[in-house]
Amino acid sequence: MSETIRRMKDLPSTHLLGTGTPMCSGCGGLEALHQIYDVLGENTVFVNAAGCMTLLSVYPFTPFRGSWLYTAMGSAPAGAQGVRDALDILLQQGRLPPEDDLQVVVLTGDGSAYGMGMSATSGAMDRDLDFIYICYDNEGYGNTGQQYSSATPHGATTATSCGSRGYPGYKKDLFSVWSAHRPSYVATVIGSEPLDLAKKIEKARDMTGPRMIIALSPCPTGWDYDPKDSVDIGKLAVKTGVWPLKEYENGVVTHTRVPRDRPPVEEYLQRQGRFAHLFRPERNEELLAEIQDRVDHYWEEVV
Amino acid sequence: MASRVLGTALFRSGFTVQDAPKYGAERRGAPIFSTVRAARGASEGETINERGIIHRPDLVVVADDTLLAIPAAGTLQGIDPDTVVLVNSRESADTWRHRLNLQGELLILPAGSEVEDRADLPHIGATCAGAAACLLGVIEPEALTTAIDEELGPLGEEAVAENRENASAAFEAMIAHRGIVTEGAAVPAKDYEPPAWVELPVDDASIAAPDIRAAANSVQVRTGLWRTLRPVIDYDLCGKCWWVCSTFCPDSAIAVEGDKPVIDYDHCKGCMVCVGICPPHAIGSIPEYLAQQREQQTIEEGEADGTDPADR
Repeated sequence: MSETIRRMKDLPSTHLLGTGTPMCSGCGGLEALHQIYDVLGENTVFVNAAGCMTLLSVYPFTPFRGSWLYTAMGSAPAGAQGVRDALDILLQQGRLPPEDDLQVVVLTGDGSAYGMGMSATSGAMDRDLDFIYICYDNEGYGNTGQQYSSATPHGATTATSCGSRGYPGYKKDLFSVWSAHRPSYVATVIGSEPLDLAKKIEKARDMTGPRMIIALSPCPTGWDYDPKDSVDIGKLAVKTGVWPLKEYENGVVTHTRVPRDRPPVEEYLQRQGRFAHLFRPERNEELLAEIQDRVDHYWEEVV
Repeated sequence: MASRVLGTALFRSGFTVQDAPKYGAERRGAPIFSTVRAARGASEGETINERGIIHRPDLVVVADDTLLAIPAAGTLQGIDPDTVVLVNSRESADTWRHRLNLQGELLILPAGSEVEDRADLPHIGATCAGAAACLLGVIEPEALTTAIDEELGPLGEEAVAENRENASAAFEAMIAHRGIVTEGAAVPAKDYEPPAWVELPVDDASIAAPDIRAAANSVQVRTGLWRTLRPVIDYDLCGKCWWVCSTFCPDSAIAVEGDKPVIDYDHCKGCMVCVGICPPHAIGSIPEYLAQQREQQTIEEGEADGTDPADR
């Protein structure tokens, strides 16, 4: 697909990613991935760190139309380096026609991107590796029962933070960490905003060098809500300002959506079981105010 | 939960017990199972030396009948003609016996009435435990309720009362078959006989199993079996925007054919995201079992008047 995506109507209506995957019903990560794959096209090779999406390609089944490589949790970008080098050598030796070249795409969850894989990712950006990194961020180690990760938001209940105050830490600002490496491109996206997502992926597709994408992935199983609410919750994450849609390019950060009249963050929080303890048995005003203040402070800095 | 309740009830009835859940991936739609082993004579210090899954079960309880159609779930693995199979289903025992070609005893635990909201789905664990306790014939109802109190106490009185009620009702429902489960002979590992394998000449994978190397061959996995609710498009209301439901469907299960969206029911997992996001509200929701009953009816009516349902 080569036409530029400007309007909703330009979004693809047939999909490359196969059905029949073992992802949970209502998976926000899979929603983003199928939209991303449609824009990237068939000439892609996925390098997948251990995580939920490892289960996409369980032998003999795969939803992809091309190759897929499985790496250990901390080393997907290193795997991508190997694949990119091999492709470059084949191209150089004339054993691979240029039109058969592949886009190397790393696919990892937040456990790997925000934590274990940080070092390998940093190294890949240092070496200016020509690849795309997609992190589906469901704010915890979803595949093993939603233990907290460095992407878990403050106050959320996880399997390993189940007290009355939830997770005591704060979600790591991976966008800034990645941007500090000055790669070609960094962007945040979400499956519930498909046009914004498609524009950014299209931009990334046509660049070279390290292109880093973080997709917030509403997770019915880990965040504890009915699968039908996945898109609603994703939209609320953007509207309330919890998940800023932005991109980094040439040293400049641009917000692609600045939500006006942000509704209170609790509209987002109260839809999810992982924040239920902030509302019942009684409202935790202090913690709710703290979460709201942090969001407000973020947007004050932006404008 | 069912295995813990059943295990504790057996323990309270004087057995030595081992019960264990086994999870695969911890996600919706993934089959989970648990096992209970019990040995008489706890007072004589009898111990259970076996570990792991049960190779020759005396009783198999299937909490969700859609699992029977999924080979990977392995629900009927290791059963023999003496094994009792209890299925939570809306269909009859005859139907399942016929479908599964079973010689042994197959009983039905009638599935509860369908609900519109998934949050109201009954908790099936206690029901399964209650029915199993009755079929084993060695557990008194008091031991069952004590087990529920012990295992579910931390969840609060309301949960305990509801589960006690469900377990007792299931126990009563199975009373005609009380004690139907017989104790199979334990097979020591040294006497294990391998199945009668048929040796087949093996071709190269590209010839023997071309699908393995096919693109996007995950379409052969019928995730449509996960559905409890079915989204249905009303084409009179459909605005033919042609991208909204198709783009938001996490599973790529809605494609636009011509100018209208078509839901792929072989793969739609029933998340119902499309129902909420359709701008003109053209997608409705019906319980899956009702949709299947209606389909069956249409086919039978077709057979009766001699028309092919595909022609109508």
